[in-house]
Amino acid sequence: MFLNFVMKGRGFSRAVNPAKIRLCRLWRSVLVRRSQRHHIRKTLREGFRIETKMPGRSPSSAFYRALTCGAALLLGAASALAEGTPIPHGTLELIARNQWIAAGHTLDLGLRFQLETGWHIYWVNPGDSGEPPRVEWQLPPGLTAGAMEWPTPRRLETASIVDYGYEDTVLLIVPLHAAASLAAQPPVRLGAQVRLLVCSHEMCIPGKAELALTLPVKSQAPAPDALTADLFAATRKSLPRPAAGNWRFSVTDANDSFVLTAKVGHQITQVVFFPLAESQIENAAPQKLLAEKAEFRLTLRKSDRLLKPIERLKGVLVLSGDQAFLIDVPISKAGAVRNNSGNGAH
Amino acid sequence: MKRSTLFPMFLYPMLLYPVLVALVLCSAPPLVSAAKVGAAAPDFTGTASTGKTFRLSDYRGKYVVLEWHNNGCPFVRKQYNSGNMQQLQKQWTGQGVVWFTILSSAPGKQGYATAQEENDYLAKMQAEPTAALLDSAGQIGHLYDAKTSPQMVVINPQGVVIYDGAIDDKPTTDLNDVPGATNYVSLALQQAMAGKQVETSATRPYGCSVKYADATH
Repeated sequence: MFLNFVMKGRGFSRAVNPAKIRLCRLWRSVLVRRSQRHHIRKTLREGFRIETKMPGRSPSSAFYRALTCGAALLLGAASALAEGTPIPHGTLELIARNQWIAAGHTLDLGLRFQLETGWHIYWVNPGDSGEPPRVEWQLPPGLTAGAMEWPTPRRLETASIVDYGYEDTVLLIVPLHAAASLAAQPPVRLGAQVRLLVCSHEMCIPGKAELALTLPVKSQAPAPDALTADLFAATRKSLPRPAAGNWRFSVTDANDSFVLTAKVGHQITQVVFFPLAESQIENAAPQKLLAEKAEFRLTLRKSDRLLKPIERLKGVLVLSGDQAFLIDVPISKAGAVRNNSGNGAH
Repeated sequence: MKRSTLFPMFLYPMLLYPVLVALVLCSAPPLVSAAKVGAAAPDFTGTASTGKTFRLSDYRGKYVVLEWHNNGCPFVRKQYNSGNMQQLQKQWTGQGVVWFTILSSAPGKQGYATAQEENDYLAKMQAEPTAALLDSAGQIGHLYDAKTSPQMVVINPQGVVIYDGAIDDKPTTDLNDVPGATNYVSLALQQAMAGKQVETSATRPYGCSVKYADATH
């Protein structure tokens, strides 16, 4: 652990910037308030001793500061994050909504990411850079994992680059289908190997985690796990959902842009579109909104890499900051077409 | 009242026009990115890790490959630790292609290297680009709208961009994905040198975002 900690200190000494120092100070003050003073001092003393024993290094005050920051962040991560498998700059945990697997039912499993401030992972379409987490399941016969359900991402903007991803915490839900013929049995092991990329605006680090969860299989109807059910319910509630049936969407191909027209029956003040497919729209281009009483028009600049025409525009439309809808709209030269949201958009 | 006769009211907004024009010119992002497949490659001058200066337009008549580099980025490390990037550099510079490795990371960010550090890296990795250009201000990067490392651009002898995008079709950090991948750079060079149309001329570049100096937050 101390080796890890010292390495981290060194990492900071290489690239200390004022924002990070401020962050570290904040962390330190939070931690100290949590009466962990003694622990920090002890850790620092020991970490420092290891470092000073190394030849050719003099303990400068800058280095000491960097070391303190590393320690504070490390301890902060340890105390603020729940149990979970360590990943670069965070933890990852495999959790289930119910207490057991019920034959013939679908059980929500979840990959719960908790990331340190300043670090992010990626959405299914990572945007201009990055890579979404990938999972390989090891499941006993009779159990199959469905497609991952991706909560609405955030736009992660740096200079001319816009990525789509998640900061802080996120739960990626994967439905687990249990065959009706599955016999009741003692706990079975659900294994998941996750490969992921964790990035800050300064750097990217690949990670790998071997996760496992053991759950019994019962013939009784499923019962929710009190520890996780609320988190699953809240996440499910926030997932992008099909748009209302009476809304009308159309997309027209206007040379260098796609123009999305949405008749939603009321005035919308804020719209953000997240494309599900890569290289359709220019992620960093401003999305121009023209809002009218009962409809709006959103102009999305085409990607420079879109060399062949596309037939449909699929993605997540976030209205007024929080309501997210899945849309899948055919692209035409003109005319409104009924929305087919939800048809294989995920 | 007197003033309005000298300078009619309706002309007042005209005083604002220069300001408006200036605002638009300064704030609007460029409407099209400078480097586009099929268009002329924007010219640049870069300083190599060896101290030498290179100007793109001096290499008219030759194929030129631009490789965006960040030695800490896992996607780049995949190419270098497998030896694939070095092999490509050797293979194509051996056939007269000019290969510029470009470092657009800002100081303090992943992938930034001083001239000495870059020279050491090139020696250690046995990399053989024509030159490694130090672009910590991001000028060449922004000129080509480079978004990721590794991002690859191929320019033909007429100075036209014939490929822009990913290095291959396996957007992962896994070394095992290198052998089975279709390399778009080699494909573009092979097709163009054979007098054929480059089939895949633009792809989504994958990798780490280029760690430019002017992050917004």
